[in-house]
Formats: sequence, structure tokens, C-alpha cells
Amino acid sequence: MDPRYDIPRRATAGGSGGSANSSPAMGPQSRRRKMPPRPADFKLQIIIIGSRGVGKTSLMERYTDDTFCEACKSTVGVDFKIKTVELREKKIRLQIWDTAGQERFNSITSAYYRGAKGIVLVYDITKQETFDDLPKWMKMIDKYASEEAELLLVGNKLDCEADRVVSRQQGERFASRISGMRFCEASAKDNFNVDEIFLKLVDDILSKMPLEVPNKALSNSVLSLQPEPEVPPELPPPRMRCC
Amino acid sequence: MDNNQGSKESSDRTELVSEDGKNTKSVLCQRCGSKVLCPAMAVFTETELFLPSMRKKSSLSTTEGSVDGDNLTAHWLVDDMYTFENVGFTNDVGRIKYLICADCEIGPIGWHCLDDKKKFYIALDRVNHA
Repeated sequence: MDPRYDIPRRATAGGSGGSANSSPAMGPQSRRRKMPPRPADFKLQIIIIGSRGVGKTSLMERYTDDTFCEACKSTVGVDFKIKTVELREKKIRLQIWDTAGQERFNSITSAYYRGAKGIVLVYDITKQETFDDLPKWMKMIDKYASEEAELLLVGNKLDCEADRVVSRQQGERFASRISGMRFCEASAKDNFNVDEIFLKLVDDILSKMPLEVPNKALSNSVLSLQPEPEVPPELPPPRMRCC
Repeated sequence: MDNNQGSKESSDRTELVSEDGKNTKSVLCQRCGSKVLCPAMAVFTETELFLPSMRKKSSLSTTEGSVDGDNLTAHWLVDDMYTFENVGFTNDVGRIKYLICADCEIGPIGWHCLDDKKKFYIALDRVNHA
């Protein structure tokens, strides 16, 4: 619950430059935008990252069955979602980006990271390699994300306890080494802890915000339907396999 | 599309649309009940848009390569995506993003064209009102 950061969280955060206060997130487009009649109190962008097959997409779904529109689900795919949660008597709109299909470390554009107020980093408790990949994801976060972004590590597939290879303690230990990173285990399949994940993250984000922030300051982190397709500059070569 | 209930539809419609042209009721997913829009957040509009079928099987069975679907004219229109309570956006299909239920992902329930960033449509026929 402690929102303070005692240890410098990102020792390697050389690349992003600039002070922590200047948000690089707003594009020219958001400045031009007129304020709509306030539909919500806060708007927050959250991204879900992690190696292939860890269940990122299912964290966004309440349940699954086979009646999905084929055109939407399999062929076209979901780009992002708007979800609303209510917390502390505020209505909060979350724009949630699922990066499934872009799991190579260098293929998620920096635009995804830049505006994110919350980052959910997911691994699969039954697949060691997805846990071993975490440091590489952290490098991407260090490089591109705002230092103020809330981080949450999620060990997914708790429903497959019998096949577990990553202990809860390992996950906890990893998260504890990164200042401010929270940890939990979840099962998207059983919907265990999934709603809590988002509420927890949002609560953390809100607790770092002064309550009377002008709406403007919060609303301009997002809004581009097309994250610029820029290739992240000078990435460390991704020498590890990604899945 | 069933058009065997035209009169019923139009009487329903007057119940759904307020005097100032807004939705009197909440807009919900037909399958899971997820709330898409709160009352009075969207404006009724008539414009013909093609939405692929919601049913998996029929969307696969195509007539000469064309996607099975409906030309729908009655829509709820909002000008900011953050007006929605819950909604999902598909990846781009040409310049179109289809709108789907954020929770169960059924859809398409709506339509957005990247060339007009201030128009997000939800088809009345593809949602429930309560």
C-alpha cells in the first residue's frame, strides 16, 4: 500500500531522459482536443504485457466460450478496451491495451508504454521461460514507460496448480526487488483475482494522484487510436527467444 | 435481419429515444449484460452502416466471398470513446474498427471509422436497453 519509493526503482532508466514530471505522453492530437462533457472522473491507460501464451488476453475477458464472432475474435482481434470501474466514489475509465501478438520484446512500440499509468506484467506459473523473460520486460519498462507508472506482476494460470513450476515465493521475490511493484497470482480461467488486479492497480494509481487534479491533466495521456508505428530506437538486440 | 416487426420496432424506438434525441435507457450487451452506455450519453442517429454478422457460423458462410452481415440504420452515436462505460475495439479492418462487448467480446455491436475520430456508433439492433 505504501506508494513511496525508497529505492531508485529503475537503475537503468537512462534512455527516457527528461524529468519525471514532464509527461511525454501527450501528442499533438490531445492538445487540440476539446473537452467533452465530462463522462468520467479519471481516464487511465493500462497495458498488459508478458511473453506469449501467458494469458494476457484472458485477463481482459470475464469469461470465454466458443460463440465469439469469428470475424472479431480470431481474424481481426481486439485492439483495446474501455472499461469502467468505480473506486473511492470516482468513476474511472480504463483504456486497456492487450499486447498479445506483439510479444517480441522489440515489437511493442514505445507508444504503448509511454502513456501507460499502469503496467500489468504477466507470466505463467507453469512455464519457467515466461518467468525467466521478466527481466527483459523490465528493461522495456525502464526504457519506455513513465517512471510513475504503477507496476503489477501477475503469476497467471493458478488453475493449473498441479503443473506449477514457478513458486509463489519466486514471484514475490522478483516483485520485491523492484521498488513499488506489486505481486499477485491469478487465474483468468476461473476469474480468480482478475477484477481485483485491476482495482488494485487503479487504487495505486489514484493514491499517487492529488485528489483534485484538474481533469485536463488526466485526460490527455491517451486518445490516439493509432499508436504511431514507430520502431523503438536503438533497442538492445533481443537475443533471447520470445516464446 | 428480421424486418417482420417494423411497427413494434418504431414504437420501441420512441421509448428508447428521449425528446432531445438521447438514449433514455442504459445500453447493454445482449449476451452478458455488460453496460455499454449510461442513459442520456448517446444521440440517436440514422445512417446506414454495414456490420458483419454476430453469429459465428453465418459470418463464415459467405455469399461469393462477401462477409455475411446487416446494413443497419439506427444507431447510438457518441463523439468520445470515453463516453462508453465498457466497450472493446477490434483491430483495424481497412479504416474501420468494429466495436464489441468489452466483457464477452460478442460483436460487432458498433462501428468506428478512423477517418472520423468523433463518431462512434452502436447499432440499436445489436444491444439491449434497460
